[in-house]
Amino acid sequence: MEGTMQTQPPSDPGGQGSDGRVDSKSRYDWKDITEEFMSSASALQMGELLHDTNFGLFEAMSAIEMMDPKMDAGMMCNQIQRKVLTFDSALESGAIKIKDLSIPELIGIMDTSLACLVTWLEGHSLAQTVFTNLFLHNPYMIDDKCLKAFSILMLKLVDHIRDRVNRAGVFEEEDFQSLTYGFKMAADVTDARATGMMKEVEDDLNRIIKMTRSKVGEERDAQTEQEHEITNALFSRVKFFRLFLMGLLSFSKEKCEGIPQAQKLICQLLELLPIIRDTICMGIQPDNKEVGKNDYPTIMGFEPLVNQRLLPPTFPRYTVIRSREEALGHIEGLLYRLQIVTTVPELTTFHIIMEAFQEFSKSSPCVLSRSILQLTLLPVNKRVFGVHTMVDFLKDTIRNFIAPPVLSQKSALYNNSQAKQYVDAWFVQVVRPFTALVQITGHNRARQRDKWAHILEDLSALQEEADKVDACLHQMLTKMEPNRQHIACLGNWVLYHTLQAMISYLLAGFELELYATYEYHYVYWYLYEMLYSWLINTLHRADNFLLENETMADSQQKGRSNKKNKKKKRIKTLNKEITLAQAGQQMFGGYYKAVMGFRLDGKMQMPEFQFDCEEVRYSHRFQPFTNVSTPPYIPYVQYKEMSDLNRYEPDATAVSLYGAACKCFHQAKSLLESFHNPSEEVQAMIKVAKVNFVVMKILMGGHKKDSQEPPVFDFTSHPVYPTIKMV
Amino acid sequence: MAGEVVEKKDTDKDASEGKKKLSSWLNKSMKVKMTDGRTLIGVFLCTDRERNVILGGCEEYLKPLEGNEKEEPRILGLAMIPGHHIVSISIDKSQLQDSEFQ
Repeated sequence: MEGTMQTQPPSDPGGQGSDGRVDSKSRYDWKDITEEFMSSASALQMGELLHDTNFGLFEAMSAIEMMDPKMDAGMMCNQIQRKVLTFDSALESGAIKIKDLSIPELIGIMDTSLACLVTWLEGHSLAQTVFTNLFLHNPYMIDDKCLKAFSILMLKLVDHIRDRVNRAGVFEEEDFQSLTYGFKMAADVTDARATGMMKEVEDDLNRIIKMTRSKVGEERDAQTEQEHEITNALFSRVKFFRLFLMGLLSFSKEKCEGIPQAQKLICQLLELLPIIRDTICMGIQPDNKEVGKNDYPTIMGFEPLVNQRLLPPTFPRYTVIRSREEALGHIEGLLYRLQIVTTVPELTTFHIIMEAFQEFSKSSPCVLSRSILQLTLLPVNKRVFGVHTMVDFLKDTIRNFIAPPVLSQKSALYNNSQAKQYVDAWFVQVVRPFTALVQITGHNRARQRDKWAHILEDLSALQEEADKVDACLHQMLTKMEPNRQHIACLGNWVLYHTLQAMISYLLAGFELELYATYEYHYVYWYLYEMLYSWLINTLHRADNFLLENETMADSQQKGRSNKKNKKKKRIKTLNKEITLAQAGQQMFGGYYKAVMGFRLDGKMQMPEFQFDCEEVRYSHRFQPFTNVSTPPYIPYVQYKEMSDLNRYEPDATAVSLYGAACKCFHQAKSLLESFHNPSEEVQAMIKVAKVNFVVMKILMGGHKKDSQEPPVFDFTSHPVYPTIKMV
Repeated sequence: MAGEVVEKKDTDKDASEGKKKLSSWLNKSMKVKMTDGRTLIGVFLCTDRERNVILGGCEEYLKPLEGNEKEEPRILGLAMIPGHHIVSISIDKSQLQDSEFQ
């Protein structure tokens, strides 16, 4: 029983600091039991755990291990030699200034703040990025007008961005950290006041700029000239940050009313960027000290470790703040992406929007632009562009896609109350999965694949419902208009989206480099024989409905220049979609046949792993498709049967398969070349098809006939359609 | 062989004695000082022969308390302190109901 009645650890220098300690720990009456504990514990058996009945090994497993650098974020604070200053202690010790900051200091602080903001937007925690800036901890204490206005604006900016990203809900933990650690975001200052304060600073600076400007017939001395330039550098930044917040705010105005303003502001911001980039060197720079894992040299007012103790007890994450140049690069990219977002309200149907959103996603945009895109289409009130209901918007889309009699004013069904009831009840169920479809395109590329798989169940259920509604409507319609039909109409539309989702799911596997080359044959087969051929049929079916609807409309206007009508160009067709689908099918047909040719030729060996089983891999790859009833899932056995070469061409040779692949690529190329204004995507596909056509042609001619070298699938030209290379 | 049995008897006695003591500390507040100077306060939940200690609802205090600066603890939750990083252990006396140690 040593050291009894000790209220402090023996190593503590007596007295000093005890006041604080007693306060916080006075509820305890400590007694040292070190020796006792040690000896008692050593009497335990090897591997024996002493614990209460309600605490076991399982619970013990989830404890974080102290002093393990991988788990213990708190270790950091003790391993650095210098003292970590908070805003108050830094102010007291004179490490930071809150008045009369020089212009280089202000420029440095602003540029570093932007770098921190960008690092946060790239998925790091606020505590380790934006709030390493001590000025943001207490902006109201700052006397310097410019720094104060900037600090408050920065807080508003962070708060607004956080709100947007949270609302859009298209982020995962790897994209964005929304935790605020209880920091105050200047909620008592309105956005208008925050930007107003910045404007005042701007006006002050503008006066200096005017005073120091070179005037006709007057020689400026070097000092004035320099002052002019440096003031202009600061002015550009103050203006930039103000306009940046205003730009973001204008995106969240109701009914997309702020879009024209946003467009204007983005142009202004893009003009300011080069000035800022050229003057980065005018700001104060950190010393050239050694960079640690979590600690790095900074300029006045920035303390990388100030919030270390706020971090949650998870494994430590090391944050490398972007350089000032990189930050500007990121912001420039963001502005260009936002420029694309401003064009979204011009899009008219759901299908065009899905296409545009998927195109947007292909460049792997940042989480903020993704969120703003989502919110522009579906703001908080969940109306399309804040105006139309999702139901009305989708109805319009369906009319353009398949012109269902029930939604066509010319049809007798249109005003039938029972039919209306069926359709309205069905549309209620449509909204959720179709909103989800839009949202999927907003997630990061890697996550999208999972989400496509998940949505299939919902779409499949919706399709079954649609088929039922179609059946009812068909019965009613045949009584009113015997020559028209309603079978697989609404259902066909849902099927179109199911197929698109399935295709997106499989194609994402290529982009994410999930498939091994020895898996290509069944993936290509599934795309070529199943999904794309279903897609083409679905589109043809929809196109026929459109045609029927138009001829119906024409026949109703009989008597008025009937002959002209026959030659009249169709208003709505799905020709473009059909051609694109056919081209896709031919491409995958080409790849499939090429791969089969390589296998016969001995150029592509199947792996012979122990316990390997192709069926397991096959089932795993297409597992999500088992949840869909139409198109039916093709099990492995059936695939083997259907793809058996002997069934179709008993004497298929590698050369004949290369020839078939050659034809496919050629056809794909001609189909794609029929577009008048080919998109970049189509151009890339044409290029790939051309190369593959040539490669297949020379293989047919016996090139590298005896070589066992496997072909290379090169995805540099297109993430999904590779160029085949023989080495 | 015989000697071993005797020895085992001895350790058995020690062990039961020690276990009793350790058990009486279970679910009591414990303060552990670590080799890097940090202090952890939490509920004693588990230990083993290597004196690894698991504390629940753990709060972390940094050592350097200068002046009258009051230190805010950092909430850690469930934490395991490896035995070889433990400098000292204290138990909250007020929670020990048994007069055994007072």
